[in-house]
Amino acid sequence: MSKHLLKFSVNGKDYAVVVESHERLLDVLRDKLGLKGTKEGCSTGDCGICGVLMDGKLVNSCLIFAIQARNKKIVTIEGIGSAEKLHPIQRAFMKWNAAQCGYCIPAMILASKDLLEKNPNPTTEDIKNATRGIICRCTGYVKIFEAVKTAASEMRGSE
Amino acid sequence: MFVPENLGDLLQYLDSHQAGVHLIANGTDLINRIQRRQVSPKVLVDLTGLTEFKYVKWEGGMIKIGGLTTISELIASPFIDSRYDVFREVAMKFGGPSIINMATVGGNICSASSSEDLLPVLLVLDAEVQVRNIHGVRTLRVEDFVKGKRMTDLKPNEILVETSFREIDSHSACSFEKIGMRNSLIIAFVNCAVFLKLAENKMCDEIRIAFNRVNGKIPQRARQTEKIMKGKKLNEQSLSDAVATLRNELKLTSDFRASEEYRLEVACVIFKRTVSRCIDRLAGEEILV
Amino acid sequence: MLVVGKSVGRVDSLDKVLGKPIYTMDIVPENALYLKVVRSTVAHALLKRVDLSEARTYPGVVAVVTAQDIPGINESTALLPDKPLFATDRVRFAGEPIAAIAAYDPSIAEEAVDLVKIEYEPLPSVFSPIDAMKPGAPQIHEKGNVAKYLKVRKGNVEEGFKQADLIVEATYKTPFQDPVPLEPEAGFVIPEPDGSVTCVGSIQSPYHVQTGIAKILSLRPEQVRVIQAATGGAFGPKSDEIPVDVLGMAALVAVRTGKPAALSYTREESMIGHTKRHPFVISVKVGVKKNGKLTAWETKLVADTGAYASLGPLVVIRACFHATGPYVIPNVKTDAYCVYTNNTMAGSFRGFGGPQSHFAAESHIDEIAKKLGMDPLDLRVMNMLRPGTLTATSQMVDEGCGLEECVKKATAEADWYNQRRKFQGMNGTKKRGLGIAIMYHGNSLGPEGNDFATVHMEIDSEGKIRVRTALTEYGTGAPSGLLQIAAETMHLPLEYFTLDASDTEYCGDSGPTVASRTITIGGRATQMVAGKLGQKLREIAAAMLKCSADEVESNEGVFTSKSAHSVAFRDVVANAYSRGISLKESSTFTAPKCDYDPETSQGTVYLQYTYAAVTAEVEVDTETGRVQVLKMVAAYDVGKAINPISVEGQIEGGTIQGLGYALMEDMIHKNGVVVNPNLGDYYVPTSLDIPEIKTIIVEYPGRLGPFGAKAIGEPPIVLPAPAIVNAIDNAIGVRINEIPATPDRVLTSLRTAIQASGKR
Repeated sequence: MSKHLLKFSVNGKDYAVVVESHERLLDVLRDKLGLKGTKEGCSTGDCGICGVLMDGKLVNSCLIFAIQARNKKIVTIEGIGSAEKLHPIQRAFMKWNAAQCGYCIPAMILASKDLLEKNPNPTTEDIKNATRGIICRCTGYVKIFEAVKTAASEMRGSE
Repeated sequence: MFVPENLGDLLQYLDSHQAGVHLIANGTDLINRIQRRQVSPKVLVDLTGLTEFKYVKWEGGMIKIGGLTTISELIASPFIDSRYDVFREVAMKFGGPSIINMATVGGNICSASSSEDLLPVLLVLDAEVQVRNIHGVRTLRVEDFVKGKRMTDLKPNEILVETSFREIDSHSACSFEKIGMRNSLIIAFVNCAVFLKLAENKMCDEIRIAFNRVNGKIPQRARQTEKIMKGKKLNEQSLSDAVATLRNELKLTSDFRASEEYRLEVACVIFKRTVSRCIDRLAGEEILV
Repeated sequence: MLVVGKSVGRVDSLDKVLGKPIYTMDIVPENALYLKVVRSTVAHALLKRVDLSEARTYPGVVAVVTAQDIPGINESTALLPDKPLFATDRVRFAGEPIAAIAAYDPSIAEEAVDLVKIEYEPLPSVFSPIDAMKPGAPQIHEKGNVAKYLKVRKGNVEEGFKQADLIVEATYKTPFQDPVPLEPEAGFVIPEPDGSVTCVGSIQSPYHVQTGIAKILSLRPEQVRVIQAATGGAFGPKSDEIPVDVLGMAALVAVRTGKPAALSYTREESMIGHTKRHPFVISVKVGVKKNGKLTAWETKLVADTGAYASLGPLVVIRACFHATGPYVIPNVKTDAYCVYTNNTMAGSFRGFGGPQSHFAAESHIDEIAKKLGMDPLDLRVMNMLRPGTLTATSQMVDEGCGLEECVKKATAEADWYNQRRKFQGMNGTKKRGLGIAIMYHGNSLGPEGNDFATVHMEIDSEGKIRVRTALTEYGTGAPSGLLQIAAETMHLPLEYFTLDASDTEYCGDSGPTVASRTITIGGRATQMVAGKLGQKLREIAAAMLKCSADEVESNEGVFTSKSAHSVAFRDVVANAYSRGISLKESSTFTAPKCDYDPETSQGTVYLQYTYAAVTAEVEVDTETGRVQVLKMVAAYDVGKAINPISVEGQIEGGTIQGLGYALMEDMIHKNGVVVNPNLGDYYVPTSLDIPEIKTIIVEYPGRLGPFGAKAIGEPPIVLPAPAIVNAIDNAIGVRINEIPATPDRVLTSLRTAIQASGKR
């Protein structure tokens, strides 16, 4: 296995990391960059909880070789809000108690962000479609949809 | 991992290193199998830097799609207008946004598997693929390119650069349907693509039909059924006759997902529905995906 | 009330929406070794030879552990002493652990696993529990294949059948359902200099793990510290032997090498290796009078517990006691068997026998109604439990029974009679139907074990009231509910309270976090300890205010005396600290024992019951067999909703897990090998599969829980399957006796029914 120098940006910060050819983006984010928010649930692309934004598009980081992220802009959950300044989506998820075990939540929040940036006034159908690739086992999805609607409303209101 | 910066480097490399090399567009299929230690490629070649192969264009009556175009990019292209909603039908059932943002047209074709929904559509569009190596280009029909389960005609020093098909004219329509266990993220029990060209009076000028499996383990055309429908007026009777032929033509199997009898029955059902949708499209009615 | 009964936020939400590193694999120490497990590929065989030599010498491999490396007892069990940590001479299921390999690079450990050579001598195997009960069946364990048998005998069913005008018999089957917690099982062990170990993991029951690890390592329990990390879903397997498997293997490596050792299951390994829902074969025979009154109910339940019993015996107890559904029946005969096979292990999973029993009972009630020509709702209303009536175990139903109100409200919301009438007249290839199912669910452990919980509280020097308990948070939100109960009891603002990690270092044993007992039993302990601490604060305030303690009132963090002098909470705390008064209390609540006859199971089997009624409206595509669930109404009598929005969250989540069970979830075994141990071939519902869900909270306070609260963690998974299958029957006139009601099953049943009616 060869080694490569991966140069990319994650949450607005530039990185240059040595990666192995077979290393996945998920592993580089978690193990080399220490960004543990992105989760591994199935390793086969069937659960979506490893989702990150790559150049503004939601992708499964367990299915991407790290080297394929070269020169790309990655956004993970760590790049969304902070305890002092929560993103409206995070605030809405808290308001609705939408996080139960929490394992799908980073991906759900990123998918919601992706949706709301492209469609600021989504219907429930739109939200279902945007999240159809992410499995949640705890909530039955209901409160997650409510949270996204609330976030959409707040984000529209503040324009 | 070899990461070519341009096409020339890539073709040179492929020509000189032929054994144990795996091309990856986005690795979705392969990365899985590497994880499970089902395959152990000596070298991976990452194609994602060759962005010149991301395009959708119209040229001389043909729609041409670059091999590295993702499914998302495909359905967002202005060239893929409502005549080509069949691709949206595929995208919706293919997987979630994260999958279609990564899966490429070329990668799909080269996977040569019955769980690749794009193949039946390309088969009924009579699509061709263009493959290149250091010596030049060759073109062949998708049908001839996909030879068996996970087997294509791609030689070790070649890459697939483009797929193309004749544009859908005002007398033609194309549609796709897939039936699986739930509404998202499914491997189909059975799927079906139909391309229909109608003449006056609902006369079937030409029909092309494909399923994820017909007689074997890869998507194929149901040519016997096509033959029996050509030149006939489409009505209850002719559809009934077509289904009778289809029942004989389809050689399906049982697995833990569904039984052979079930797949056969549902294949006939979605075949009729897909034909109906094509007819409705031609009548000017919008069918919601 | 101040805060109980209000929809407030949860204490764990912030970290979760920020993606903080709080789960087990987020906090593994830098220099840890990673384990990969060598597992059997054959269901039942003698291990003739296990050759680890190449694995041991593979570059990068640091340790290889087997049963021979166990200083203590080679055992990792949930209840019966039937399961080893590592197989020695024999394997009983495909996937059973044989050895573990550790390396700093997990991919090296994985490659080394491929180098292990195992020679099996296959033994005759059995994969059906019915076959396993037959004479001459291969014996999986020394004591035979029946791990547990129990019965219920009430009245005399033979007499009851004689009184009946009609007798209806049928057999129902349910599958292996995988819990699919999104976080697969994980844990790591740090060996401490003094010979003790610290275990961190994805755990439901820290003390169960402590006992198990101590046994394996031959340590005293005090030498095994167990800390629960944030847990990404559990639903059952993380309370059984699985965390002991994971941490036991890691502990052996840690103790051998002196280095921290971590093990994280892959999804595939999780689905093969952890416990899942017991498949049941349930034969039912019911006698009924033509006016609809039930006279006799006879059930035989046979559960497939797989190669090792896990908590199978307790699952079967619960299934046995709930076998008839929530009805008044004078004559009941139930026989329940927990049977070994060479399939993978079945054990705890939300519902714990309730889903299986109710699938059979509630499907059967609909069948009876059909044969009587009665509306299935009317039949239920005629026979269902009400205060003053007796259950199948002759337990008197007390005033805390909201079943009738649940039924009324659910069917009103679903517009029961009108919708069913409307659906009858529908044409076309898509048919609609409306079905109902009702339930009761015995709360907490009942007959399943010692039912106690311990909660500690301590006010730190900064004035934070720290609540500590070994009852764990893994998504339910119940521990947050304990804070609400504490705040209510002490009449202090919720913001003053915080929940510490579940750590055996400072949390006493509370039994397992299962059976939805956190609020019911943990809540009672919380009331006790909060009461004590609150009293202490009042005494300190009283001393400061120079009055007596009972004259002090606490309001919004201010303690006021009758003469309207006041002192702030912070000052009371500071005062206590300056005077060296401890602000630390603990309380243990132990539930009364359930008193019933062990021979006939007559008596009080559970201390209180949750009741519910769920309707499902479906659309069946009669050409493809696909079923869409359009709307569900879920009415639950929860006694007292401590946090209504959290209660809704549990109802919604359980409803969708139940929908999966009804339509699409099946861990398929072929000759004991799981065919679909991945999320591409094992289907859980996605966002596009969910119906509109209307939740209705009904409150008939129970006698056990704080403020009358009842269990709500498990019940919501029980009713969707029978409600949906009953709705399918209403839509297409076909009874599906075996779930999941996959498109293949539905279409095949429909075709068979059409052919049969054509033949007449």
